[in-house]
Amino acid sequence: MSIKKFRRWLDEPGNSVIFTGFSMFVAIVLAGILVPLFYKYGPNDFVGMPFERPGGEFLFGTDQLGRDILSRTFHSVYRDLGVAFLGVSIPFVVGTFIGIILGLSKSKKIIAVISSVIDGINAFPLLILAVALIAFLGPGLGSVVIILALTNWARYARIARTKAVVVSQQNYIEAAYTLGYPRRRIIRKHVSPNVSSETIAYALSDFILVILLIAGLSFLGLAATPPTAEWGAMISEGRTYIINAPWITLFPGAALCWSAISLAFIVEGISRREGKV
Amino acid sequence: MSNSALVDIDSLQISVRLSRTRRLKIVDYASMKINPGEMIGLIGESGSGKTMLCRALIGTLRRRDAYISGGSVMFDGMDLATAKNDVWRQVRGKRIGYVPQSALAGPNPVLTIEAQLLESLGGDETLSRADAKKRAKELLDIVQIRRPDIVMKQYPNQLSGGMKQRVMIACAIALQPELIVADEPTTGLDVTVQAEIMKLLKEIRDQFNTAIILVSHDLPLINDVCDQITVMHAGATVENIASAEIEKSKHPYTIALYKSRIDLAPPRGELITIAGQPPAVGAWQTGCRFNQRCDFVTDACLIGEHPKYIELSATHQTACINHAGIEAKIGSSL
Amino acid sequence: MTIRLEGKGVTVTFGDMFRKVEAVKNIDVALHAGQTIGIVGESGSGKSTLARVLAGIQVPTSGEVFYEGTNIWQGKVSYPGEMRKKVQMVFQDPYGSLNPRMRVVNAVAEAVKFHQNADGEQARQIALDLLERMGIAKNDAIKLPRALSGGQRQRVSVARALSANPEVLIADEPTSAIDQSAQSQLLSLFSELIAGGLSVILVSHDLGVIRYLTDRVYVMESGDFVEAGDTAQIFEDPQMEYTQKLISSIPGHKKLKS
Repeated sequence: MSIKKFRRWLDEPGNSVIFTGFSMFVAIVLAGILVPLFYKYGPNDFVGMPFERPGGEFLFGTDQLGRDILSRTFHSVYRDLGVAFLGVSIPFVVGTFIGIILGLSKSKKIIAVISSVIDGINAFPLLILAVALIAFLGPGLGSVVIILALTNWARYARIARTKAVVVSQQNYIEAAYTLGYPRRRIIRKHVSPNVSSETIAYALSDFILVILLIAGLSFLGLAATPPTAEWGAMISEGRTYIINAPWITLFPGAALCWSAISLAFIVEGISRREGKV
Repeated sequence: MSNSALVDIDSLQISVRLSRTRRLKIVDYASMKINPGEMIGLIGESGSGKTMLCRALIGTLRRRDAYISGGSVMFDGMDLATAKNDVWRQVRGKRIGYVPQSALAGPNPVLTIEAQLLESLGGDETLSRADAKKRAKELLDIVQIRRPDIVMKQYPNQLSGGMKQRVMIACAIALQPELIVADEPTTGLDVTVQAEIMKLLKEIRDQFNTAIILVSHDLPLINDVCDQITVMHAGATVENIASAEIEKSKHPYTIALYKSRIDLAPPRGELITIAGQPPAVGAWQTGCRFNQRCDFVTDACLIGEHPKYIELSATHQTACINHAGIEAKIGSSL
Repeated sequence: MTIRLEGKGVTVTFGDMFRKVEAVKNIDVALHAGQTIGIVGESGSGKSTLARVLAGIQVPTSGEVFYEGTNIWQGKVSYPGEMRKKVQMVFQDPYGSLNPRMRVVNAVAEAVKFHQNADGEQARQIALDLLERMGIAKNDAIKLPRALSGGQRQRVSVARALSANPEVLIADEPTSAIDQSAQSQLLSLFSELIAGGLSVILVSHDLGVIRYLTDRVYVMESGDFVEAGDTAQIFEDPQMEYTQKLISSIPGHKKLKS
């Protein structure tokens, strides 16, 4: 894409917001890749005195145990964003699939059973459900992924089902049927792409929620636990010293906000685009 | 005649904001005159700018990120092209009524018909509430809704498509405007309902001497109902002609539209079609914008600006520079 | 003449046990080879439902549909196997009848692959040729449906239906949502196809279109045929009041001016 074309694209409503969000997101992901690869200090090395101020040798300062906060903040990226990615993509795929099947199914029994499961799960707030299930599975990031996979699909399934019902009544599906295409092909080529556009939009905003959920659970000591470098856990550890050494909580908190805001920008930009066209 | 015209649109340009810096001209060279009590049909294909022209008359361009970028829209001595909000408040609804496309809009679904009509009457501050109610019932009588007492208390979803459109017409004429803009008022309605609505519009015109602009893409309909026809193509008005004279059209586009009428074709006979697609909105070629689809095209049609109206008579203007030559050619081909 | 498609005692009932609506009431209809029939009526008359039953999309509550003597419903499937090619449908809404996420050439090529033993590049070429014949140039064919006008989309739908080489084309209001110039283009295309031997069932509320294309016309009112006959005869001498009303409502037929 030439620069001129890019500037034109950027000029269209919503696109500059998408671009800003996307750049912010890429920036933090890049930092999350480069820092663990090349930075001189590991996340759990005791490299300096406790409570060293930001600047100087330690750009983000050190925490109460003398660990480098810059290293810890960016080592968290693959945990926070990576786990969140898994926690969104697994439910996305499973939920979309189940929702489509449900939307197209003609068997009243199957519809009744699966719908009540979906409604049952959706009746509980995600955070409450997660806390309750962690009691069984034990704390850990792995548990969070399992919990999200077990529960969050229901939200995708509900969205996908509604959309699948709408799509299945469209003339192009009926046309595909009159052309004699096999059912499986109709689902794969004609229903899925049109349903998943809807669930992808939800997945992007869900990503934000899941990032905050992981950090929130870690803050409560239910997901990542010390000494793991993870934003929520770091904030939790640092909050005792927040008056005298605010940088311990400030940098992981900022990284968390940065990630959430970048995704929020993308979601906002997309909805502005759709609203315009 | 030009002095007495109720509406005089001259060389109107309408542009739309695509982004912060890009603008697209979607109407250009649109001119039109409407006399008091005249029923005028505005016909064109989708994308020809006919709806935008209506919006310029009812002042709702800004909602679509569009604005008037040139020309004038004179309404009874006021230029609506540069009118501010306070002028619009005096005009919109009070002096210019609007009947929307039936398929898209309709009465507000959460208001009863009565509430809807009272709202339309709200622009008249001199009217007491009791009088307004009485007037609302009168309006339903005018639009020939049977049992107005019952209908007043109903919600739009309890009415048929034709009834809803009658209610919309009642709202439009509530304050006895001098002009009604009806944008495809019968699209999506059955032909029998369409015929009734058209009859109603004509009766309203006869009774109150209201000028009516009827927008449609259906030439036979317009030809039937209206006194005068203005044809739009690719953002420009190309011909203005009296309904009765439509066969004497001097613009190839009007001629082609008229001859491609399905109701006049012999069954399975050769159907005259207009080849190709209209040019994309705003992406107009130089010269006449019909030159790619025209059977009578000459070299002069390919250059310069889109031709302006040529006055053939008081009720006939055409934008075809070859209008004299066309006559000879059609004469031989028919 | 052989009977291609025949509906016998077709009834369709919508709704649940508390409220039933009979959309189509015990209707017999027959389409002969090479014939074009029109089904005309107002919205809600059940004409679209009848068309969908004949196309095998809608299961009739009772009654049967036969294609050249064979019942089209075999178990839960309509038009099984090779029979499916023979009857194709074009829908009213040009915006809903094409997959919005599929380029139009691919939509047609998909049907070509399925019905003409061609694949990949070859199918694409056949699709492009077919679209060209329908008046869709290559630079438009590679676009997504939303970049095309209503009339163009409708011609793509026709091209897609024709790629199965059908004997019968059922068209449900093919012209009612498109501009006049696109309408006349589409109608002359239909007229050519009919001249080429295609049997057509045309569902429309536009009597002008019906008069232009059909040999025989059925007038439908609230689920039932009120009048049927040769098109020319119906238009010249309509017997039923309802038919007369329909005809007199066509713009251009009766001058509303007093």
